[in-house]
Amino acid sequence: MASVPDINLLELITQLADDEDIQHVPVGREEEGVGVCAGAYLGGKRPALLMQNAGLMNSCNGLTTTGLQFGIPILLLVYYAGDMGDNAFHMLGLVTEQVLQGLGIKYAVGRNPSDVKKQIADAMSICQAAKRPVALLLTRDVL
Amino acid sequence: MQRDECMQAIAPLFTDELFVTTNGGATTEWSSVRPSDANMQVKTMGLCSSIGLGLALALPHRRVVVMDGDGSLWMNLGSLATIGLHQPTNLIHICWDNKSYEASGGEPTATAAEHLDFAAVARGTGIASSWCVLTIEDLRDCVRDALNTPGPHFVWACIEPGHTITLERPCDELENKYRFVRHIEQTEGLTILRMPLGHSQER
Repeated sequence: MASVPDINLLELITQLADDEDIQHVPVGREEEGVGVCAGAYLGGKRPALLMQNAGLMNSCNGLTTTGLQFGIPILLLVYYAGDMGDNAFHMLGLVTEQVLQGLGIKYAVGRNPSDVKKQIADAMSICQAAKRPVALLLTRDVL
Repeated sequence: MQRDECMQAIAPLFTDELFVTTNGGATTEWSSVRPSDANMQVKTMGLCSSIGLGLALALPHRRVVVMDGDGSLWMNLGSLATIGLHQPTNLIHICWDNKSYEASGGEPTATAAEHLDFAAVARGTGIASSWCVLTIEDLRDCVRDALNTPGPHFVWACIEPGHTITLERPCDELENKYRFVRHIEQTEGLTILRMPLGHSQER
């Protein structure tokens, strides 16, 4: 799991550090994380990238010319800043889903805490089957 | 020194290493000098160092060699800080510096002004084994040492512009990935490529 922090991801990132089954790799910029995840996949891991949607914007070329072009499964766990009711990064919220649609990256939105565990498992599963990046947008309600 | 002759000089030093090469001459010349399923080409400029880091962390007992370029490293200079943070002992990062965007028309890069010292930057991020080499002999010695001591290693190889005309790359990105992953599966005893089950096979 590569990550770039956001205050809404703090609890999740703290848990990552304590989980012995997950190798946590902090990176400085999200597109680096796409590269780290691609390398990890080639080396036999099931990678995921945890970031805010601003980082999704930073990663568009890497997702396209590494993730999609080489067919690399990367689970994108993205804090959905600017979703309805979350005003701090409103402009990011306006464009996030259109960017994913434009890239042709399959995604789902997690809004209900009781559903999110299955949503993560399902997103990882389709990501591995399709051998492409797949995104799960995580709202503040589930984080 | 030229990149092609550098590659020919160091190629005999390698055995079972994995190679991640940036787009352009680093990929075409390396795949010509040492054709192998252990070569992974990179199409996202700047990302070879990050992909090499991910691979090195995933397979910590296996040496990974990244072949970067000056324009590409400039684009993802932060990756040095990330490598410095994680200290992968099995990573050898070579930057072929011809002071130009050779694959993009030859415009100068940041190193052309001769203010930028990549080895000093790498050392400053915590990559203690960071070197600048100007001759083929020094390059060969440096790579030989890097293969025999724990890294991470960074080798800034200052080369002349110019590339060897090579045949087209032997495979596209998807075929490259499958061949590389099959090579990892065979040499590491791993199963990486899993086929999705049909509904009738689900349990």
